[in-house]
Amino acid sequence: MKYISLFIGIVFLASCSTMPVITAPMLLATHKNLPCPSPFLKEKYQLIHAIEVNAAGNVQGAIIGVTVVDPYTRFVSCAIMSAEGMVLLEAKSEGEKLIIYRALPPFDSGDFAKNLIDDIRLIYFNPQGLLQKKGNLPDGSTACRWQEENGNFIDVIAGKPESTEIKKYSVGGRLKRYIKITQKTGNPYSIIELQGSEMVDYTLLMTLIEAQPVKTIKGKNSEKKR
Amino acid sequence: MNNYRDLHRYFYVLVCSFLLLSLPLTVFADSFEQLRKDSADIQTIQASFVQKKFMKILTKPLVSEGRFYYVAPDSFRWEYLKPLRSVVIVHKGETRRYTASGGKMIEDKSGGAQAMKIVLSEVTGWMSGKFDQNPSFTATLKEGTNTLITLSPAGKSMTGMIEKIEITISKKAATVKSVKIIESANAATRIDFTNVEINKVISSSVFQDVQ
Repeated sequence: MKYISLFIGIVFLASCSTMPVITAPMLLATHKNLPCPSPFLKEKYQLIHAIEVNAAGNVQGAIIGVTVVDPYTRFVSCAIMSAEGMVLLEAKSEGEKLIIYRALPPFDSGDFAKNLIDDIRLIYFNPQGLLQKKGNLPDGSTACRWQEENGNFIDVIAGKPESTEIKKYSVGGRLKRYIKITQKTGNPYSIIELQGSEMVDYTLLMTLIEAQPVKTIKGKNSEKKR
Repeated sequence: MNNYRDLHRYFYVLVCSFLLLSLPLTVFADSFEQLRKDSADIQTIQASFVQKKFMKILTKPLVSEGRFYYVAPDSFRWEYLKPLRSVVIVHKGETRRYTASGGKMIEDKSGGAQAMKIVLSEVTGWMSGKFDQNPSFTATLKEGTNTLITLSPAGKSMTGMIEKIEITISKKAATVKSVKIIESANAATRIDFTNVEINKVISSSVFQDVQ
């Protein structure tokens, strides 16, 4: 019985596994010099996106997302507001500390703010953890794979010209997030498509409204302390 | 559903702020009673607006632009054109809200928009010039270099939503200078209106078509 359970478990995991194989280049020098795709921000930035929300196959509407991100400190501050300008959610995260200033339903449910900030980090920051593999996917595109401390895998893939894909897999290899970043107007984050697979599958299509670097004055952010 | 209720309150405040534009320019002396009399002549209003959202997270205000239409007694269209297009229409007792998605205007079918009917009844009171009789706000009028009307939430319905609304009327230019909605210590919304037209014919299609 124990072996049957184990077999079923393996089959189940295998059926969930969608993590593709990354093949290292044959030549060692090529492998060593192979750069990982990196669309990620190099300095502190404020970005404002119009976000179209689809959940469970239905269009849910559109909102405005404001994000301030610092790749060096991994600081994230974000706000979601309605088209009319009403703030639905405002939160920030410094290190492990999450502060929620405002969260109206349904944005106050469960770990919504935490998951949102995790998604923002996934979009804008270099993956943390161990670089496990770099090479090519079966379709020939360059890919690098990291494994985070919690066991999740992050693939960063140089897709078609001017686009990068980021995929997040669970320990078992289940695809949890698919992100496609497309550069259109000079900013690498002109269009971001995020597909999330949770209790309810959802898609966010983010179109850049505005982006600008946030200046830091000698150890002090130009953003006022709250 | 609470967020919809909050959205309606927010929309309500925006609309109410705008409706203060309908105040005839000569009546900003010291009389709310005079306002009520003069507001009775208003049949239509239309204007463009620029909305600036101030938040600590924003290094500079988020600017939205749009149009507003009103036909007495109860038809409204409040439309944002930039940066994210959205429309709220109140007409013949029905309320609809649309946002742009996939290049189309998608109607909010969540039921939230219908709850805006509650808002409508309050707005009707404002349209009658009953600025000092709305139970949701207490109104004060102060004369100075400019005329300042301050609306403060009277009950708990606006708690956490609005701290106060300030409408500044320029005496020199005899126009509404600004409407500022102070939501909290960290957030405020300022709306500037231009091209205000009173009692000019507005087609009924404005309250029916969303493209």
